Amino acid sequence: MANVTLTINGIKVTVSMGTTVLDAAAQAGIFIPTFCHDPEIARFGACRICVVEIAGMRNLPASCVTEASQGMVVNTESPAVVEARKTILEMLLANHPQDCLTCEKNGACRLQDYSFRYGVKGPGFEGKRHEYPLDDSNPYIIRDMNKCILCGRCARTCAQVEGRAVIDFTYRGFNTKIAPPMDTTLAESDCVYCGRCLAVCPVGALTYKRMAGKGRSWEIEKKPVICTFCDSGCLFDLNIKDGKVIGVTAGTPGQGRPLCLKGRLGLELLYCDEPTDPLMKRDGEFVKVSWSDALGLDGVLDKIRKIEGK
Amino acid sequence: MADVTLTINGQQVSVAQGGTILDAAKKLGVFIPTLCHDPELSKVGSCRMCVVDVKGARSLVISCATAAAEGMVVETESPAVMEARKTIIELLLANHPQDCLTCGRNGDCRLQDYAYLYGVRGSDLTGAVHQYELETDNPFMIRDMNKCILCGKCVRMCGEIQGNSVVDFTYRGFNTKVAPAMDSSLAESSCVFCGNCVAVCPTGALQEKGLRSSARPWEVKKVRTTCPYCGTGCSFDLNVKDGKVVGVTSCNGDVNGRALCVKGRFGYGFIHHPDRLQGPLIKKDGQFVAATWEEALGLIAQKLGSIKGQYGSDSIGVLSSARCTNEENYLLSKLTRAVIGTNNIDHCARL
Repeated sequence: MANVTLTINGIKVTVSMGTTVLDAAAQAGIFIPTFCHDPEIARFGACRICVVEIAGMRNLPASCVTEASQGMVVNTESPAVVEARKTILEMLLANHPQDCLTCEKNGACRLQDYSFRYGVKGPGFEGKRHEYPLDDSNPYIIRDMNKCILCGRCARTCAQVEGRAVIDFTYRGFNTKIAPPMDTTLAESDCVYCGRCLAVCPVGALTYKRMAGKGRSWEIEKKPVICTFCDSGCLFDLNIKDGKVIGVTAGTPGQGRPLCLKGRLGLELLYCDEPTDPLMKRDGEFVKVSWSDALGLDGVLDKIRKIEGK
Repeated sequence: MADVTLTINGQQVSVAQGGTILDAAKKLGVFIPTLCHDPELSKVGSCRMCVVDVKGARSLVISCATAAAEGMVVETESPAVMEARKTIIELLLANHPQDCLTCGRNGDCRLQDYAYLYGVRGSDLTGAVHQYELETDNPFMIRDMNKCILCGKCVRMCGEIQGNSVVDFTYRGFNTKVAPAMDSSLAESSCVFCGNCVAVCPTGALQEKGLRSSARPWEVKKVRTTCPYCGTGCSFDLNVKDGKVVGVTSCNGDVNGRALCVKGRFGYGFIHHPDRLQGPLIKKDGQFVAATWEEALGLIAQKLGSIKGQYGSDSIGVLSSARCTNEENYLLSKLTRAVIGTNNIDHCARL
């Protein structure tokens, strides 16, 4: 494929045609902040935090959806770009709880990272704020839609697995919200708690219930493991605090990586120092079940016991 | 000294007479939160965070300043203790900015740690909130008295370890504030900016100006090193982010504890300064020209050799430096006596 050469912050970069300005910048070692962009999902260009200045262009284009072209001159941190990013952050913070104090995502939150980077100390605007109730209707995922910045990564990654697409954008304007059909809770939906939406959420809108209160992001060391429950080879992270595995979280989602609940629970049982009992939905209610039941090993265990008896 | 044996959370432990309940708990590996307590400073028992339940005691007692007694039965996490601690955190948060979002101490703050530990999400108590101006008129540290929880560790550090007593409690009641004399700024006071108050501050009230604006605590890798400025040999941690030194924080050094001076704590700007000399220069025709180490050392050896040949070994004197390591000083001594052949060697820290 043909190559194009462009200049980013004075550095000449050559990339293959079709590469985005964002990827070209990454190749040159230049950081551009992103919220909605995900290399595993189709380009979206919704959050605008990745805007850059390109000589000759009418306005600031989003670098994650703008393809590099021959001779392009890009500035990723010009005064106009920095001002645009600050305004975006101020607008997001205008409708985002200021509770980093106890937020589970504190320390691993892009909204916080960029606020610190661009010196945005709080919302620049006063206005309406969402007061959604917390969705902790299920044993695995806590959804706090007050913290959602509507980047849509959860909905898009959910739809990537065939037959899922449990959540999507609902309502319009300020009331836009990510929700399952009929705006139900996750417990009432078809959600299987695979956790791929949690793996991509850039803020504290989606967090692991089983990890709540157990440790802060900077206290936790992550160690990747590959699930062996099926041939998908999904990546999971062991979350280690003070030498103890306190939880298993979904790793990078992608094509052919379902990151299922069974896999995560199986790894919890295998690695967690103090695994908590799994809960399964029976007749619409979550009930405590045995590990062999949750992992579908009852049949296997029965056979082993029968053979042992002989 | 006689030992006393007490029971903490059902476990028996013995400590030397005079040891506190906190010391005894520590010996058992039982965690008790503290804000104003510091093992190197005098005991003031003011923050009440470390309260515990002692069987038979009239009220909850502070474990940091209560001596363990024979047969004492202590509960460190009874419902009454938990409630007291939660209330203390709520009271502190009622007059504390909720700006962890961009606070330089986010991730390294005791108030935040304990709020998370005890699940105190904020404060329902509404009342007056301080609106002090941020003090940034010195090049080393930021003082944000809105974030001060009045634990007084900075006051004691300044008075008891540094021996300068620059700051102390001023005013009364809700208006109580830690400040230099006449409530001036630190820049206008006799503060020497050793930053030892910053090292003990449990919240974001005192922050290193450079470090806390360039990196978040979880982004830095701490590298233990010895200060190169003088012969005292203080230890500290270089805070490294993306391969660059962005600041210095105290460690518990053998020589210095957590105490440092202004040079050690804040004088790291030279490390990545563009003007820093990173290789030898040789003066050629009145101009300094970059040279290789081989060239430079060869030239020195040649000149020393010719001086020695012409005027004798004792025409050369060597002055060593306290900023060198012991090994380097030893080698210089060897070079002077064995190679150059003179006893004319001295050291700036020879006392």
